Amino acid sequence: MTGILGIYLFDERWNVGNFGVYGLMALQHRGQETAGLELIGRSRQRLSGRGLVEDVLTRVDAEGHICVGAVSPYTVEADEDVQPLPLGEKVSVALDGRITRVEGYSWDGSISYESNLRRAFARHACGRSEIETVKEFFDNCKGGFAYVAVNDRMEMAAGRCSLGVKPLVLGKFGFEGGIIASESCVMDVIGERVPISPAENIDAGDAMVFTPFSARLVKGCSPRDKAYCSFEYVYLARPDSYVNDIPIYRVRRNIGRRLSEEDRVDADVVIGVPETAIPFAMAYSNETGIPIEKGFELTGRRVRSALRPDQFERLKGVQLKLNVISESVRGRRVVLIDDSVVRGNTLANIVYLMKEKGAKEIHVRIGSPHIVSHCPFGVEVPPEDELIGRHLSEEKIAEVVGADSFKYLSIEGLVDAIGLRRGELCLGCFNRVYPEV
Amino acid sequence: MKILLVGGGGREHAVAVAFARSSCTPRLNCLSELVNPGISRIVKDSGGEYYVGDPNDAETVLKYALKAGVDFVFIGPEEPNFRGVPDALEKEGIPCIGANREVAEIELSKASMRDLQWKYMIPGRLWYKKFRTFEEAAPYVEEYAESVALKPARQVGGKGVKVIEDFQVYLKEEKKRVKKQHVESIYRDYMKGYGDVDFKILIEERVWGPEYTLQCFTDGRTIVPMPAVQDNKHAFDGDLGPETGGMGSICCGMNLKWGVNDERAILTDEEMGKSAEIVRMMVEAIQRETGRKYHGVVAGQMMLTSIWGPTIIEMYSRLGDPEALNILAVLKTDMVEICEAIISERLNTVKVEFEEKATVVKAVSPHGYPLSRDLAKGHPVVVHDHEEGVFWASADLKGSGIVESGGSRLVECLGVAETIPEASRIAERLTSKVSLADGWGLFHRSDIGSEKSLERRIMLANMAREIYKYRERRGILGRRMIWIPGKGLEEVG
Repeated sequence: MTGILGIYLFDERWNVGNFGVYGLMALQHRGQETAGLELIGRSRQRLSGRGLVEDVLTRVDAEGHICVGAVSPYTVEADEDVQPLPLGEKVSVALDGRITRVEGYSWDGSISYESNLRRAFARHACGRSEIETVKEFFDNCKGGFAYVAVNDRMEMAAGRCSLGVKPLVLGKFGFEGGIIASESCVMDVIGERVPISPAENIDAGDAMVFTPFSARLVKGCSPRDKAYCSFEYVYLARPDSYVNDIPIYRVRRNIGRRLSEEDRVDADVVIGVPETAIPFAMAYSNETGIPIEKGFELTGRRVRSALRPDQFERLKGVQLKLNVISESVRGRRVVLIDDSVVRGNTLANIVYLMKEKGAKEIHVRIGSPHIVSHCPFGVEVPPEDELIGRHLSEEKIAEVVGADSFKYLSIEGLVDAIGLRRGELCLGCFNRVYPEV
Repeated sequence: MKILLVGGGGREHAVAVAFARSSCTPRLNCLSELVNPGISRIVKDSGGEYYVGDPNDAETVLKYALKAGVDFVFIGPEEPNFRGVPDALEKEGIPCIGANREVAEIELSKASMRDLQWKYMIPGRLWYKKFRTFEEAAPYVEEYAESVALKPARQVGGKGVKVIEDFQVYLKEEKKRVKKQHVESIYRDYMKGYGDVDFKILIEERVWGPEYTLQCFTDGRTIVPMPAVQDNKHAFDGDLGPETGGMGSICCGMNLKWGVNDERAILTDEEMGKSAEIVRMMVEAIQRETGRKYHGVVAGQMMLTSIWGPTIIEMYSRLGDPEALNILAVLKTDMVEICEAIISERLNTVKVEFEEKATVVKAVSPHGYPLSRDLAKGHPVVVHDHEEGVFWASADLKGSGIVESGGSRLVECLGVAETIPEASRIAERLTSKVSLADGWGLFHRSDIGSEKSLERRIMLANMAREIYKYRERRGILGRRMIWIPGKGLEEVG
């Protein structure tokens, strides 16, 4: 997943540089390896680098009333591969998810993903850069993705693949223009306060096209079954965002309630693992009447530990983030709620720390079904031989992590919590069933 | 019966149609800068003349009114009112439907309008500051202005307004910079050449809520409210993009109902009543101030805000465009009869009636409107099929018979039905009747009057209503209290 952003203001007097920076900060949870912003005005400037938004985009001395930006969780080698990705001289794109093939282009396995995209685009465009050409290219792209693309003619196109795997919303900025982003929380941070809803969902297959003379929604050809990423609801998106018009917080609350219904347990206290699992734990507590308490205190800056690419960084993240408050757990039976289990070693670490601080029993509940498979659309899931849920039963995992019991949320439970039909969701990482692209 | 219609836009085309319906079968003449193809046909059919000239010039208007020997003159746009055209006509004994120079001050000067509203303590008044020069306004913008509407303090064809919401401290510097630049361009560009007002810049608090236009006929003694109309100011679908003169409007019943037989509505009857009362008070106030009678049309460009409920955004001294189309399409009473009643100040004896129908207007504009009007201008227009329901706006019928785009909204398409969404679909179909022969693009808004858009407007109204009703119950309607640390409690207004 990548956080993507596009700002299009009609009045050329604006400089949206700072809007871009704060907009990307609102998407920082979607990627923390690289950050980039391209500003389009009288000139075109690209600022990008490795690290967090606040480290990379410290001094924005560029100018422009249009911008495209991205925060990405992927480490890249070449500077030109840092998002927003230049697709040649004239067009740049911020891309969330993964394009798995391009109609009329044969993928070259010997060159990088980015180079393939550039080559495919060059073949499609033949030197043209009109926004219709750009949009057409992305219409020909298959996979699970959302994009915001700009060209050298002060035009912007932003859309979702016909499966709708990755989210995208449109916010308005008064009479000045529009803001496109992966999540609606961006509008709360840089947009105007709109009393009804912060942003409008862009439907699967649709695209917004901005030119100096127009802004219009282009409907895609009526998509087949959709495949909205269910992991957005469990983990990826911010709880203050709406994805596909569904408030993330509502889903997280439903998950907590559902966890309490799927398996009753006698306990004294509910504790959520920060940050994502806190709403699960609150709902679990409200539903069961078991009091909730703060279980951890963090040292240093908040990072999304599960997204860190290497084991040392992940464990460091967990240990600094999750110091157990002994008063909350000593002598008590704890329901410990986490959002997901990938390899299980961070969880084992937490359970160990809690037991050490005197917890009498620990019952682990996970707010998502077991992760068994990779994601073809760019959610970073480790190789299958590392996935604990792929190889071990719930009983076995309980033993391994040292908990008294261990339960996942059922897939049915997740689908119910989201509130969409099963056929509208991609549950591939939980059930190995992927949409046809 | 002979009439001279002044102005040649979509609004005036609709007025011409209304006159043509009259049982008096008047001979209609028209004076405008461009030749409106629609009005031109009506004029010709009625046996009248089309005069090309400056409608803002009192002598020109007077000359043609005398030449045509008319019984009265109907003034469409606001600028002739500001230039004293009605005054000049009446001096010569020619009756005129149009606000005279002094009462038209409520539209001409947005600063005077607010002064008046505050002086008479008329409800729905926004907090404001007025400035004579950019230099005077700059320190204020630098230090205080937060979420504001920046306006030219004179009506300049609806242009130059910028609304900026400013509450995130981390974006403040940039917003301040743009605010200052805009205030400067209001002073140097938008207000350039307008010496008829002292104050050039108006800064008002920013408010939110559904907007609506309440147009009224008045003879200075009686005010007859017409059904409320909701205009759509954003250029593009989904309320996106720059502000325009209006890309289309909806109307049904007095209070913006969903459909004729539908309970759902944007406004309540009570809010409609309050709005009419506000407009009435404004007319009374301006008449008292000037000692002059108001003959013509007065309109409140209103918003249902959380602070006040019905609130004045601006006042019009004429019918709105495109709002006039909605109203005149359902006006049952003879337009000539209404005009005569205004002239003789016996409007109270006329029963002004409107048909219970939903109307939706969609404007079609060439690309370039509203920010680069030069690009929108001069394109040859093709009309497919007959023109029923299509009103010509900014278009010029050349001697050769070719119609060219004038740079603003080209045509306005009117749909009439039982519900607003149905009327919207009819108007939508009409938008494809015109195109530009040179391939230059046209655009319109397909969302005006759609179910989704109506739902949102009703929701927005409910949110504003909930808050202002609460304020009303607490007795703090329209009051704004601010705690200034170290200074104490201050009340605005």
